[in-house]
Amino acid sequence: MNDRIKALYRSHILVNAKDESHQGKLENATHVLEAYNPMCGDKYTLYIKLEGDKISKASFEGFGCAISKASTAVLSKQLEGKSLKEMKPLVEMFFELVNEDSDQSPESLTDNEDLLAFAAAREFPERKTCATLSWGELEKLV
Amino acid sequence: MINAEKLKLQFPIFNQKTPSGLDLTYLDNGATCHKPQSVIDAISDFYSKGYSTVGRASYWPSSETTVAFREVRKLVTEFINAPSEDEVVFNFGTTDGINKIANTFLRPRLSAGDEVITTEMEHHANLLPWQQLCIEKGAKLSILPILDTGDLDYESFETLLNDRVKFVALTAVSNALGVKNDLKRICAIARKKNIPVFIDAAQSVSHDEVDVQDIDCDFLVFSGHKIYGPTGVGVLYAKKKWLDAMMPLSYGGGIVKEVQLQESTFVDGVARHEGGTPNIAGVLGLGAAIRFVQSIGMHEIHSYLMDITDYAKTKLNEMDGIKVLGNPVHQAPTLSFVMDGVHPHDLSTFLNEKGICIRAGHHCAQPLMKKLKVPATTRMSLAIYNTKADIDKLIEVLKETQAFLS
Repeated sequence: MNDRIKALYRSHILVNAKDESHQGKLENATHVLEAYNPMCGDKYTLYIKLEGDKISKASFEGFGCAISKASTAVLSKQLEGKSLKEMKPLVEMFFELVNEDSDQSPESLTDNEDLLAFAAAREFPERKTCATLSWGELEKLV
Repeated sequence: MINAEKLKLQFPIFNQKTPSGLDLTYLDNGATCHKPQSVIDAISDFYSKGYSTVGRASYWPSSETTVAFREVRKLVTEFINAPSEDEVVFNFGTTDGINKIANTFLRPRLSAGDEVITTEMEHHANLLPWQQLCIEKGAKLSILPILDTGDLDYESFETLLNDRVKFVALTAVSNALGVKNDLKRICAIARKKNIPVFIDAAQSVSHDEVDVQDIDCDFLVFSGHKIYGPTGVGVLYAKKKWLDAMMPLSYGGGIVKEVQLQESTFVDGVARHEGGTPNIAGVLGLGAAIRFVQSIGMHEIHSYLMDITDYAKTKLNEMDGIKVLGNPVHQAPTLSFVMDGVHPHDLSTFLNEKGICIRAGHHCAQPLMKKLKVPATTRMSLAIYNTKADIDKLIEVLKETQAFLS
């Protein structure tokens, strides 16, 4: 793991894990997703409100480690303003970003630092499931 | 007096650095212990110098390997003070042993309306086989609760032990909290009603003397890899009356008197229950592991580990924002704790960066986590190569992590 990603991991993941701007139940959600990792007990409910084909609002509630919480928070932010169709390539990119066998450098995949921080999971394959917990649920939807 | 630094030299894993160039501080011995050179050599020598099957062939090297294999059974018999070698069955580990007793011993003896007792602190391996069998049979699984200290609620045991109870299964030591159970007390109460008791000794065998006659249990299982031996090998002790009364634990070669196409008869003794080629390398490695432990002395190992455990408990309790879970009457060298505001998985990732291997999670004890009202804990579990310096390093990194994360 290069030093920049290590630094991003330390800064961005902790900040996003503590960011409460997208936490809480969303009334009138059109989609409610349950993300649960039975191996560690991390559990999130993801709320999505679709207006027309655009997601107007997304939020989550639940508990888990800093990585799963941060990735769910970042996902909630990324969802807003996009259509489900537009989310598909982003979800695919995210999985590539955390894939330790990927031949693409993290920096070639995105310049968004909130997302780039999760490339640290390449170094800790056992934490990949934390990073992808909520993204994996969204993948089923898109 | 144990010289852990000197003993550690016998474990080749510690001769290397982590990928980050750090010394390895291994505190996850409850999951599995590292192997001394003598165990590695026993396995390697078998494959390179004595490889053959056992008990079946009349040629060298099988003859020599068969003798070595039988010596391990004798060694294990003495190690757990079993009355005879006819009561020591080799299998593939604790989980294998529990499932086999559930399927072969208990299944034909359990009916709708019967009851089985286990405890609130069990590892899933000593809960699921009994739970699923009870569901299948329409029987009731009664749960012996724990007190706030983590100790079993022994007084409730006599109440639970009604005439419908057919079997009792419990662990010697809680893998998640390190609570050491009073096995003799449980067995003595169950004995009055002639109810068989099954002991999961996976978490006690490496640091506590196992004496099946003193405990007076009917069954006891443990895994080789929890006592410095290889994975994939385990021991099942069962009273001879049960081994002889049970159908074979698994069907295969080497267990029969006579086989016909439509029916068969089976031999008596342990051979009846060891169908198929055993894990020979595993058994020989287990033998080397037990000799290694005996060369140090179980009493010395126990005293040494309890000394470091007390030290660790004091140091952890001195820290603000750390809570050690459970405060049992008898503590095994395993401590579970939580850090305020920090998820155990984040903590273990940070500790890993400093070369410290520690376990985070529910420790395959979800019902216990629910009782403790925590999703997960961080657990340290000790072995004879650990020292107070390891604990000092842990505390130092815990403080750094706390400053950074919370």
